[in-house]
Amino acid sequence: MEPSKTSNNNNKLPSNLPQLQNLIKRDPESYREEFERQRAVYEAMCVIFEQNPTRYNDDLHQIIMFMAQVAQCYPDKLKEYPQELMTLLKRHGSVLHPEMRMSFVKALVLLRNKNLISPTDLHKLFFQLLHFQDKNLRKFLKEHIITDIKNINAKCRDMKLNKELQNFMHEMLVSRHAVAAKTSLDVLIQLYHKRVWKDAKTVNIISNACFSKVTKIMATAIRFFIGKDDEEEDKGSDSDSEGEGTKVDLKAAVMANKVKKKTKKQKKQLEKIKSLAHKNQKKKTTKASFDFSALHLVHDPQTLAERLYRRLEKMNERFEVKLMTMNMISRLIGVHQLYLPNFYPMVQRFLFPHQQEVTRVMVFAAQAAHSQVPPDDLEPVLKTLADNFVTERYSNEVIAMGLNAIRELCLRNPYCMSEDLLQDLTQYKSHKDKGVMMAARSLIAVFRDKNPELLRKKDRGAPTELTVEKKQEKFGENTAKSYIPGAEILAFKTNEIEDFGSDSDSDSDDGWVDVSSGNYDVTFDAVAADDNDDDEDIKNRVKKKTGEEDDDEKIYSAKEAVKEVMKLTAEERASKAEDIVSSRFLTDEDFARIAAAQAFKQVEKFNQSKKNKRGKKRKQMEDEVTREAQELVPLKNIEMIYKKRKHDREARMETVMAGREGRTKFGATKGRLNPNASTTNREKAKSKNFMMMKHKNAGKQKMSFRDRQQRLKLALLRKKKFRV
Amino acid sequence: MTSKVTRDTLYECVNATLDGAKEKKRKFRETVELQVGLKNYDPQKDKRFSGTVKLKHIPKPKMKVCVLGDQMHIDEAKENNLPCMSADDLKKLNKDKKLVKKLAKKYDAFIASDALIKQIPRLVGPGLNKAGKFPTMCTHSEKLSDKVDEIKATIKFQMKKVLCLAVPIGHVDMGADELVQNIYLAMNFLVSLLKKHWQNVRSLHVKSTMGKAQRLY
Repeated sequence: MEPSKTSNNNNKLPSNLPQLQNLIKRDPESYREEFERQRAVYEAMCVIFEQNPTRYNDDLHQIIMFMAQVAQCYPDKLKEYPQELMTLLKRHGSVLHPEMRMSFVKALVLLRNKNLISPTDLHKLFFQLLHFQDKNLRKFLKEHIITDIKNINAKCRDMKLNKELQNFMHEMLVSRHAVAAKTSLDVLIQLYHKRVWKDAKTVNIISNACFSKVTKIMATAIRFFIGKDDEEEDKGSDSDSEGEGTKVDLKAAVMANKVKKKTKKQKKQLEKIKSLAHKNQKKKTTKASFDFSALHLVHDPQTLAERLYRRLEKMNERFEVKLMTMNMISRLIGVHQLYLPNFYPMVQRFLFPHQQEVTRVMVFAAQAAHSQVPPDDLEPVLKTLADNFVTERYSNEVIAMGLNAIRELCLRNPYCMSEDLLQDLTQYKSHKDKGVMMAARSLIAVFRDKNPELLRKKDRGAPTELTVEKKQEKFGENTAKSYIPGAEILAFKTNEIEDFGSDSDSDSDDGWVDVSSGNYDVTFDAVAADDNDDDEDIKNRVKKKTGEEDDDEKIYSAKEAVKEVMKLTAEERASKAEDIVSSRFLTDEDFARIAAAQAFKQVEKFNQSKKNKRGKKRKQMEDEVTREAQELVPLKNIEMIYKKRKHDREARMETVMAGREGRTKFGATKGRLNPNASTTNREKAKSKNFMMMKHKNAGKQKMSFRDRQQRLKLALLRKKKFRV
Repeated sequence: MTSKVTRDTLYECVNATLDGAKEKKRKFRETVELQVGLKNYDPQKDKRFSGTVKLKHIPKPKMKVCVLGDQMHIDEAKENNLPCMSADDLKKLNKDKKLVKKLAKKYDAFIASDALIKQIPRLVGPGLNKAGKFPTMCTHSEKLSDKVDEIKATIKFQMKKVLCLAVPIGHVDMGADELVQNIYLAMNFLVSLLKKHWQNVRSLHVKSTMGKAQRLY
């Protein structure tokens, strides 16, 4: 009302704020007068507004937005404007009309985007505003805070400002108000995922939130630490299954909706498609952006784990929350190699076949095992697994699961296994169920690598060069070597690359294939194995360059070199390798040769008598892909209890279809010369509904012979009567 | 890359380091260290690696190693003048965090006899683990002094949050040849740990504690 009354201009500018705004933005100076007028209007309206702040005032809303829009054009006049808005919000925030409040906030956001307010001030205000019960406002504020911090960090990183903001977030996180704390936690997590704040400080602030009294906050924080990988996998499978079915073409759908009749159903469908498209987009973006667990960045994992454990002991939350906490503790233990002896008995309590989510508990048990846990602590866990799961009285799936769990545990810490137990467990290797059998065999494979002594003799497999070379480690042993295993191959010089090529064709092992063909100038740089002394060494090099060659420095072909290596004993190899490694820098080619030699050792059987020729009796160690202990235990390792079908349905159908290709259609083809001719009634009858044809098929029912005779008799009698 | 670092440049670097230390004598024995910068490696994404290697020559002879042993080992340790503690001594610590921390600070490494090592986490709690000084096992068949030397010669490569590593590879009283051998061994081992071997190495410096860094690569 006011703008139109106060203006007596002809061009109606004052009443048309958007137009004025446009003009001002183009040429602020010439429209200063109009602006001043609007300013006065604004001030007047503010006074009115103060009288009754609960009412919604559309004009005020418009003028506020207008002022915010043009604020950068008159920095001198509108310097105080943000402050005014903020004080208004602070004073009347709780009683304001929600939409009015929203317009104030939006104006402030606008000003913030023009960098007219400092982020810390604004965020402080916004966190205060979170106290009001207004869902939309809260959502809007959260989103703005995230995007704002993201934008601040988009171009350059202001460490000081970031630190200030992080401190502020931390303050909010520990504050009493649950919503504010949750929001700040969400902000932190989002920013971490968006890789804006990916430093240790953020992670540690979040780790503090794991101890919040509010379950929701605690669960969110814990999920931040553990949930990533699981979620990702789930998401991946989801999108796979959904992907084809809902290939959403948003554009086409919107277009179609414009043309189609506008019904409620259509509208709903469009909404659905939109949300689906949005989700798909999100999936694509989140997948690639995050692949690193925040657990590494925690400052003091031991204390964190201990505190979490104490919390878990007394926890009265739902089982899921407990599981999550257990998961986090076990991951902390595994990743940081912590020592938390009480955790194992606690896990043990949950290890029963009928326990809900037992596979996950098994995962936690395996995750919490690492090479520095004393065997005494892990032994009971192992024992429970064996006693409670691997017993004939349970179903095959349970046994297989138990064996898998034991395998995962022993992969991390083989020291806790005893000979008797292992030999009992390996008996299942010839079990009739495939899942159990495979689990038992994989357990054998693990111990062939880790400690063959515990296995029965026939399970150990024929020793290869590598296994003989590798000594069995005991708990806490120093495994440092003074050489690179396999480097002894470099003591035997090879001259050409051709050798490698031809060998890879004739030889059966794959080790040679990955040898890259590069320039082998190794030969003359290489130092003979037996001269330790550096002076001699240099002399030798000089000799070689002039072309002379000693007897023991002869050049081998690749195959011969490997053979020579195999002839050596482990000690000789070690000393040779040490000499080589400490006398020159190895090149990339050298590393390729080392890898090849190690691969060869893995397939070459150990031979005590060092004969030159030995026959291979059977293929061996083929299925044993040496497993490396990963940081985390994937759930599917333990749930791998069903045998894999040779094909799944799709693959089977594919082969069937492939067989049908090029074959004529099944069924008789003759009988009709012209395929386009019309069909007969007889043919039509075949495709008709049975109920229609039922009577026809039955045909005419004939009277029986006796009935006919009787009928005839009666008829004749009747005739007679009439005649008489 | 290896062609860039010849034997001569390596000797040059090492000699320069040694000369620098001789020119300005410090009041302690300076350690020579190898500083490695890595590249093409994302510490947040790629798996962190760590590895231990035993050098040919002991880089830090002054390292203090404490023996946590049973009676036999304690007797042996006393003969060799090594600091030692028995299980009872450990029990006296009573898992007190401060005392354990003090113990961990006092020594650079620990050796435990095989009978005792399994109980050590239980006796002292996580304090030693935390300090990264979990004891190494020693059986009765091995000589204690050999084991101590072995530990003294062992260095650890551990990649953390940043793309650079530094390891001690000797001290200034060592000869150039010995240093060079250690450098070769350490570098070869480190490179063997890296995914793309030499392509992951950005720079290589040799430096004594107080001296100037000599760029090798």
